[in-house]
Amino acid sequence: MAARGALLKYLKVNVTSVPRNPTSAAGGDTGLFSVAFNAVRRRFSTEEVRGSFLDKSEVSDRVISVVKNFQKVDPSQVTLNAHFQNDLGLDSLDTVEIVMALEEEFGFEIPDNEADKISSINLAVDFIASHPQAK
Amino acid sequence: MSSAVSTTAYLARRAAQKERVRILYRRALKDTLNWAVHRHLFYRDADDLREKFEANKHVSDLDTIDRLIDNAEATYNNFRHPDPYIVPWAPGGSKFCRNPTPPAGIEIIYNYGKEDND
Repeated sequence: MAARGALLKYLKVNVTSVPRNPTSAAGGDTGLFSVAFNAVRRRFSTEEVRGSFLDKSEVSDRVISVVKNFQKVDPSQVTLNAHFQNDLGLDSLDTVEIVMALEEEFGFEIPDNEADKISSINLAVDFIASHPQAK
Repeated sequence: MSSAVSTTAYLARRAAQKERVRILYRRALKDTLNWAVHRHLFYRDADDLREKFEANKHVSDLDTIDRLIDNAEATYNNFRHPDPYIVPWAPGGSKFCRNPTPPAGIEIIYNYGKEDND
């Protein structure tokens, strides 16, 4: 035990602080370029991990086009405030099909309990616009 | 008073059954897509599935409905796909929790080792 302690004490390395990112301190054209390059790279990599939020108007356009393409829906009645069952005359199973079509359109997955709550175009747009992985 | 209680109980049970059917239909529909190799095969399978649900649309006896839902859930479990498609970012997907966002203040030096050439 004592030998182990002595060995560990011998192996101990003092930590000294190193200035971050030494190239950026060098200055000049190359330094600036590398900073900008790093910033761009970092932005891309974190954005890919976190996902990005879609613009709300784009989301509503795509949602409306999906609903209009649904066979049982009269396209002229589809508005931003339409409720699937009250305004568009669909039943609960049709709503399930529309939500699944939306999942495929935006390439993401809605949990079962959340999908159950989406009953109008407004709710769908809000949910998709606030979901980072929708694309 | 007792009739109001029984009406409330009836409505609550109906709501629970409707939710079960919605979730079952959603899962079964997704599973149909998992089993279908091509899109045009999926459309016919989905229509068949819908017909199975529509066939019992007008059943009104609560116990019969419960039994039908139980049977349908058993059938669904029996024919569940062993390797379903999961969206990569979603829980269980192939990219789930891969490469999480690094903590703030940590950055990667991309030209590491080439500083001398600058």
